Amino acid sequence: MVKEIHAEVAIIGGGIVGCAIAYYLSKAGLDCVLIEKGDIAGGTSSRCDGNITIVDKDPGFDSMMSMASQKLMAELVQELDRPFEYRALGSILVCDNEVEMEAAKKWVEIQNNAGLKFKLLDRSDIRQESPYFADDIPGGLECETDSLINPYLFCYALIEKAEQYGLKVYTGAEVTFVSQNTDFIIETTEGTFTAEKVVNAAGVWAPFIGQMLNIEIPIKPRKGHIMVGARQKPVMMRNVMEFGYLMNKFQRERIADPETLKHGVALVFEPTENQNFLLGSSRQFVGFDAQVDINVIKTMARRALRFFPQLHDFTIIRTYTGFRPWTEDHLPIVSAVEEVPGFYIAAGHEGDGISLAAITGKLIEELITEKEPTIPIEPLRYDRFKKKTGTCFN
Amino acid sequence: MKGLEKIIICRCEEVDLEEIRQTVSQYGSSARETKLRTRAGMGYCGGRICRPMLDAILKKIMGDKPQDQIPLKIQPPVRPVTLARLGDGLHHDD
Repeated sequence: MVKEIHAEVAIIGGGIVGCAIAYYLSKAGLDCVLIEKGDIAGGTSSRCDGNITIVDKDPGFDSMMSMASQKLMAELVQELDRPFEYRALGSILVCDNEVEMEAAKKWVEIQNNAGLKFKLLDRSDIRQESPYFADDIPGGLECETDSLINPYLFCYALIEKAEQYGLKVYTGAEVTFVSQNTDFIIETTEGTFTAEKVVNAAGVWAPFIGQMLNIEIPIKPRKGHIMVGARQKPVMMRNVMEFGYLMNKFQRERIADPETLKHGVALVFEPTENQNFLLGSSRQFVGFDAQVDINVIKTMARRALRFFPQLHDFTIIRTYTGFRPWTEDHLPIVSAVEEVPGFYIAAGHEGDGISLAAITGKLIEELITEKEPTIPIEPLRYDRFKKKTGTCFN
Repeated sequence: MKGLEKIIICRCEEVDLEEIRQTVSQYGSSARETKLRTRAGMGYCGGRICRPMLDAILKKIMGDKPQDQIPLKIQPPVRPVTLARLGDGLHHDD
């Protein structure tokens, strides 16, 4: 039991976002504590895949934010002492049909006009990527700057370095109440903390922390399944998504069979450094039910076979689920909260938490130390939801 | 347990006792974190061979820390299953 630990900044949540914030704040010389109810990377950040991608971001602010994060990731590879399986090989997106192919052409054009390194791929390009691809894939596109990491190893590396800068980490400390006097008082199952500032980086659990201060945070858990395939023969080195993944994510119209649409299933193929591979993905609103749903897994397997029929005899050794912190406009909240001075929110990254963790950490550091932000933060403000509805998230 | 340090605990991922012990002492890691760092129990067999041993070792090293999830969780499908079987319910050579 710890008694009354005081810090300048208390970060609630030891997922990838909280770890990145803890790293940048500690590096900037602030005295920080990280409070985590379970283990470091024990929630969404170890129940996901590891894409640092632009390929699936809307052109504009969304892709700019990802690009800023990719730049920081490349620096972090140098700054951190522990390797985290960083592989900057680019990624590809494959189309299911000619309608998607037409949309992909436009997508490449828009992204190129925005100055991003996208390239259209035809049928033969796809076949050269991997002999395991189906013959009837009409094409796809490539984003040159995308990379892969192991998210939990990245969290461990951030924490290890941050501790060298003075960070104190408390795991197994579930926050039970937060109040504000002059300082914030954070009561946990492992004792009480006081802090001048609090960053809520609790991901899908951020609304519960918000409630303690009467702050409504419009984040909902969106469940995703992932399968782990066993190493057998090399399939390919780069990350693959299907174009329909974008449609799912942004909740746009898409042509696919009813089961695929119902469970929000779209192919994601991610080779891991130990030569296994991850197969995703699904997106469902089912509250906090973490159980693996065999019907979703079957639908995902069928979807994987549509694009990779030659993987039919590869074995799946594990399946798991995670909760993606969803927001209505698919952008995270990285913001101060006017109603409670000193309270910040960094949550709601949905499936982009791995991609956007670095830039999120940097932006919170810049907010707290009152520096010019690396990218404009207006679109990430907490009060954007209020402005839209005129009321408080009814 | 001198002389046993090189004994393989997780055969699939080739993790020996020494690596598990070192990881716990270096990082003060929980059972789950130790598994993720060493990959012990994350291999082809899904931990069916090493899990009881791993649980026993971790329990012994850690004592009774409240946040440790011992025994480690078992994830479906428990045994390796081909993608074809998951996809269409058949063995690929049926």
